[in-house]
Amino acid sequence: MTGKQTVLYIIRKVAELLATLLLVSLLTFLAFSVIPGDTARVMLGANATQEQVEVLREELGLNRPLPVRYLSWLGGAFTGNLGNSTQYRTDVAKLIANRLPVTLGMSILAFVMIIAISYPLAILSSRKPGKFADQVCSVLGHILFAIPPFVLSLLLILIFGSILKNFTIGNYVAPNVDFGIYLQSLLLPAFAIALPKIAMTFKFLRSSMIEQKASDHVATAKSHGLSDLKIMFKHILPNSNVSSITVISLVLSDILGGSLIVEQVFNLPGLGRLLLSAISQRDFPLLSGIVFYLALVTVLLYFAADIFSSLSDPRIRIR
Amino acid sequence: MARHIHVLKVHHLTLSFPTRKDPNPKPILDDVDFGIRDGEILGLIGNSGSGKTMTSLAIAGLLPEGAQITGGSIKFRGEDLLTMKPRERRNMLGKDIGMIFQEPSTALDPLMKIGKNLDEVLVAHGVKDPKERREKILNMMAMVGFDDAAAIYERYPHQLSGGQRQRILIAGAALLAPKLLICDEPTSSLDTVTTVQILDLLKGLCRKLQMTILFISHDLSAVSNFCDRVMVMKDGKIIDKDTTSDILTNPKNAYTAELLTNARLDTRMLGIERAHVDYSSSPVLTAKGIEAGYSDTMFGKGSSNKVLKGVDLEIYPHEILGLIGSSGCGKTTLIRALLGLLPHSGTASVVGRRTGAVFQDPVSCLNPSHTIKWHLNEALRVYEKKLPRSERMAKITAALEEAGLDSGFLLRKPHQLSGGQRQRVAIAMCLIMNPGLIIADEPFSSLDASSAAEILKLLTDINRERGTSFLLVTHNIHIIRQIAPRVVVMDGGKICESGLTSEVLSNPKAPATIRLLDAETKLHGA
Repeated sequence: MTGKQTVLYIIRKVAELLATLLLVSLLTFLAFSVIPGDTARVMLGANATQEQVEVLREELGLNRPLPVRYLSWLGGAFTGNLGNSTQYRTDVAKLIANRLPVTLGMSILAFVMIIAISYPLAILSSRKPGKFADQVCSVLGHILFAIPPFVLSLLLILIFGSILKNFTIGNYVAPNVDFGIYLQSLLLPAFAIALPKIAMTFKFLRSSMIEQKASDHVATAKSHGLSDLKIMFKHILPNSNVSSITVISLVLSDILGGSLIVEQVFNLPGLGRLLLSAISQRDFPLLSGIVFYLALVTVLLYFAADIFSSLSDPRIRIR
Repeated sequence: MARHIHVLKVHHLTLSFPTRKDPNPKPILDDVDFGIRDGEILGLIGNSGSGKTMTSLAIAGLLPEGAQITGGSIKFRGEDLLTMKPRERRNMLGKDIGMIFQEPSTALDPLMKIGKNLDEVLVAHGVKDPKERREKILNMMAMVGFDDAAAIYERYPHQLSGGQRQRILIAGAALLAPKLLICDEPTSSLDTVTTVQILDLLKGLCRKLQMTILFISHDLSAVSNFCDRVMVMKDGKIIDKDTTSDILTNPKNAYTAELLTNARLDTRMLGIERAHVDYSSSPVLTAKGIEAGYSDTMFGKGSSNKVLKGVDLEIYPHEILGLIGSSGCGKTTLIRALLGLLPHSGTASVVGRRTGAVFQDPVSCLNPSHTIKWHLNEALRVYEKKLPRSERMAKITAALEEAGLDSGFLLRKPHQLSGGQRQRVAIAMCLIMNPGLIIADEPFSSLDASSAAEILKLLTDINRERGTSFLLVTHNIHIIRQIAPRVVVMDGGKICESGLTSEVLSNPKAPATIRLLDAETKLHGA
């Protein structure tokens, strides 16, 4: 790729990002304005008089027409000001930033677990498809995939918290206070998030590796006298990685959005719970802030997946 | 070490796929017994499913899972391969026994540069010094005919043509000068010009590196010009073996004789008659100034990769028009444009009835999860939406029968059919639409000799009895010469020569035509 092409590519990606963010924010705004419930009423409670509600509505600017409200919020967003949360009365960006260590930490841990577990299992399974090891892995994968996350979370709490007693539930500590305990407190929830994704990634990797095993270039490698192990790591794995990049980026974008149920069960102050409260309290600035973050993460991940794909497969040129 | 007359001796080899249900199934290889003499090129021919590939995999020790050798032995320079440890056997691959497969387009790892693809052979066999490895590879690449070996070394497989890739694969297999080189259909996916080049190359290497070759093919013309001796295989048995000239000119075995007749695709021997074409009637297809290409740019437009550069074409009723040209000349792109599968400029108008298409690979044309009946019904539904059930079934059965399959095939799925039968289904799917023109893209080249002969007969019968016109794309000039009254030759996205087949082929003017005919003469003999 020449320098000019690179610049064009980056410009196009940034334009894509902006268009996505714009569309997502518009849809959020529209969706939010049609669902029943009044922000001011929710904030003041059922006992407030209609006049009090009206005063607050005026103060929050809720009486202005829809397009005006959207444009004023949008103007703020593009100058870096996501506005103040109506329920917490603080800066939205700060609220999200406070919750990020939980969600990000959990995501990274979960991601490491997904890679560290699904790859070895897929390699083991695809070595002899249909044989004992493969069947055990496949059945286990189906079970993990079928169990709802909250049951999985409760099971983990039961096993590690109540029976083995080496994990205290609901004991979140911020990373700047004690990093060790912070990690420890995220370990189990990360595992709960990771398990179904491990099953999913494993299933995909396994079938892709089995497909690669039957490919012509693997036959050539065999005829060159390479050992099975070498063929696995030099040919099968790199080739199945190419198709796995997309799946893994999907998994990652999913876990980076935070998991409401797991956060609830483990009592963690993550993004999922923040999102729930934003919706139930009709807190539009906060909600759109979180949606903004999610869209940004998704677009950035796809961007990264694009780059990785083109780096690992010479047939894919960045377009 | 004692000198063995036979490099390889296969002794009463029997192989089958036993299962729990059927512990003693019909053997895939049944008492296979032959030897390959030092320095000779031994051909192995037979229809698909006769056990040729299984024989080669058994020798290499690369049998698929479930295959079991139930008897016999394989001796390589006196050593019994079947009693060897797996590790020792693997070590022989690439060093003592080399292999080349059919499909060069997918046989190289797409993520590795050409150099790396070749490098692994040397690494696996303990050549430690990277400089020495690189030098060896560049030398071998030069030997297989790359003048710019250092540049090709840095390329990726998808940047090379099919013929170039096959030469790389040959380089990989010959890198350590193995005593035995097994070539399994190495030319069947290549065009005639490239086939001749590859065969020349193999012959040269065989002499230079003192290799012995087992050459598996269903292409008899390749075998006849290339091999010293030929064996014929049928149902897992070797039923005939002799010197090439004896087998080809004076076959003693009835099956060998039949195979040869089929393989020659001789219309007189197959009882094929030509249809009469009336060139004064208006054409069924008129194409003018067809241009098409594939875009390869950032935003989908702009400077695109133009493949067709203005093609004019006319096909008359009852006519079989031959279309020839070497790989990459734009034949397939033209067909895709004519079928409306590719955006193009220029006009292509088909008068009267519909256009059908038959492609090279009948496997990928059919949906593996549906029955033959479903496929025919699907083709019928496109045009006849509101047909009563009974009429629908009658039409489906009739089309299938015309294509030479009885109604017993209706409920079968594609994987239960042979290659020839699948091609018949594809033809039945055309027939059910009652087409005025059928575009056939290499309809024989993925089939073995017997099936190819049958399909050739079927297509010419349809042409004669129904009056259906054909646009027949093939690299088999021999067939064109016999059944197509008119031929067009393509080169570089343009038609470089056209006219009556007898004139064009006996007095070629365009360089592309001359090249094609030269290769054909070399391959098939004068």
